[in-house]
Amino acid sequence: MSEYAIQIENLVKKFGDLTAVNNVSLNIKSGEIFGLLGPNGAGKSTTINMILGLLTPTSGRVLVDGVNMQQHPEKARQEIGIVTQETVVEPELTAAQNLMIFGKLYHIPASELKKSVDFALDLADLNSFKDAYAGTFSGGMKRRLETAKALMHTPKVLLLDEPTTGLDIQNRTKIWGLLRKINKEQNVTILMTTQYLEEADQLANRIGIIDHGRLIALGTPAELRQKIGMSTLIEASADKDDLPKVAQAFKKAGLEPQVPSNKVVAPNTGKAVDKLEKLMRLLSESKVVVHNISMHEPTIDDVFLKLTGSEVRDQTGEDTSRTRVLMGRR
Amino acid sequence: MSLLGDTYTLFTREMLIFKKNIRVSVVRSLIFPIVFILLLGSFGSSPKNVPVALVNYDGSIASLNFINALQLGNNINVASYTTQQQAMSLLAQGSVAAVIVIPPGFNSDPGSTPTVYVYLDNSQPQSASVVSSVVSKVASEGINNGPTSPVSDPSPGSISVVSDYAYGAGSNYESFVVGGIIIMVAAFGSMFGSGFTVLSDRELGNLKAFLTAPINKYSVLLSKIAYGTVQSAFSAYTALVIGLLIGATIAAGLVGFLELLWVIFLVGLGFGSLSVALASRTKQLQTYALVAQTVTMPMSFLAGAFVPVTLLPGFLQPLATFNPLTYAVNATRDIMIKGSLPLSILISTTIILIAFTCVMVAIAALFFKNTSEQL
Repeated sequence: MSEYAIQIENLVKKFGDLTAVNNVSLNIKSGEIFGLLGPNGAGKSTTINMILGLLTPTSGRVLVDGVNMQQHPEKARQEIGIVTQETVVEPELTAAQNLMIFGKLYHIPASELKKSVDFALDLADLNSFKDAYAGTFSGGMKRRLETAKALMHTPKVLLLDEPTTGLDIQNRTKIWGLLRKINKEQNVTILMTTQYLEEADQLANRIGIIDHGRLIALGTPAELRQKIGMSTLIEASADKDDLPKVAQAFKKAGLEPQVPSNKVVAPNTGKAVDKLEKLMRLLSESKVVVHNISMHEPTIDDVFLKLTGSEVRDQTGEDTSRTRVLMGRR
Repeated sequence: MSLLGDTYTLFTREMLIFKKNIRVSVVRSLIFPIVFILLLGSFGSSPKNVPVALVNYDGSIASLNFINALQLGNNINVASYTTQQQAMSLLAQGSVAAVIVIPPGFNSDPGSTPTVYVYLDNSQPQSASVVSSVVSKVASEGINNGPTSPVSDPSPGSISVVSDYAYGAGSNYESFVVGGIIIMVAAFGSMFGSGFTVLSDRELGNLKAFLTAPINKYSVLLSKIAYGTVQSAFSAYTALVIGLLIGATIAAGLVGFLELLWVIFLVGLGFGSLSVALASRTKQLQTYALVAQTVTMPMSFLAGAFVPVTLLPGFLQPLATFNPLTYAVNATRDIMIKGSLPLSILISTTIILIAFTCVMVAIAALFFKNTSEQL
């Protein structure tokens, strides 16, 4: 096994005159859980598609377990398990049939196939449903089946594209447990993208943030928090129309507010309690209705906001639509 | 593992899904030909007592026997007239479906073949086909004085008489239409089997899962074509059985039946490839359905599946030459109506359809290269 599970070297992808991925280099160590974050249209999906060999890079290269994806796609893919954004289990097949077919596609020898299917069913905790059609499964069951399907050929790398989007908290926790387990027990390297930053915070050993096609931050969650130099944060939520007024109060209190979608956030500098007190007074004088005001440790959400100027969710920037249009034309 | 191994794995997947949905497939395979049969309005309604004007210029015993034989079974209702002119005017009015003329000397010379002339009103195809088949049947039995052969003649004026060999000896209209329908069903079956599943797999994200698996991506194309061929054969064989139950016949017998299975298989293969070629560039199911229909429908008509090519507008007729379905339809006519498919035609039809398949597979492969970038 090579030292790095995935090596990305000077990766560039251009669609016409739009540079979707701009000279990204990134090494993902064997055995780590890596979270790749970025607003929609930032170049995250384009990067993932190049890692999967679905897109040809304009320049640069991707190595999976030391194998060049562009030169030997079939060999490189043998080492990757993939869980995509769309849940890809065939509803017209049973759980066992779904696993069987993919086991064959990943060239598991016929003699070991049954064992692999059972292993995957165990992993997904779906043993009692093995002959039930996947179409009858709940979203969480499908997702577990899919994750187990991606692991049955014992790949070195598991790539998850937003693995828990749309799942309730119970199923999300189950998936998290599954991921931690296979990472620890089988030393599977995990590369995941997510829009739930707390997910990255909880699971990932290291996080990379992509924006405008560039890798703008890389490090452990703790390092990233440190890097942006925030001790605590003051956050206030109010009706959308009132937000400018709230922001105004923040400024008067000597804070530097940022206004993402539905709240005002400012890093606290200096004596926290003084600033907060002053802010409270100003807010009550301006007679604006504030739903909630809090002071907390910075989360990856805050790091993200500080670095990209936007929230990771509900973001439909200009770049998104442009990338889509350009990709659609090919 | 090889291209073929991966293709086989993906094909077994399609077949598992096919097996699960077998009931839907059966119903569709039944509905498809039945709907076409009803649309074409030729089955289950073979008219009785079709009015026919008969002019007997001969008057011999043989001719009277011939007329009596015609009336057996009450399929046609014969009324006699003294002049052909009188009878033809009734035909022009549409009050009779056909005029049968027995010329003088019908039975005078034992050495020569007796002849009757049949003028058919092909604006009433069902009635005309009944008359045609009754006359043919009786003629082939050769009343009392050896074989007779009916001859259809073009008639002047607004009524044209069908002179296509479809109405030759030993045939019926059912055989003519069923021959066309099975080819059309084969073509449509593939369109829904191959290309359709490419589109639905793309929408479900399955295609992405296949293309990120360590397999040759062309195995995806080949498995879809293989599945489409099976689906097509399933539908078309069902259509053939329904056709035979309804009254179509295969003049070439058991060998002809096997030849039909082969021709259907080739059409399924060719159109499976065509549909994958179309689907490899199409992203939306609706667009695909529209494109598939606008391709398959005209091709079926241009092939003479329902109407003889000779009855199509003149400027369209040359197009039939470039239509692979024409050769398949012609083969079914040879098998079902003419009574034998010459080996040379069997071989040339096979070569044409295989060549068509190869060209389409090449196009599909060319286009599919790009679609892997735009899932």
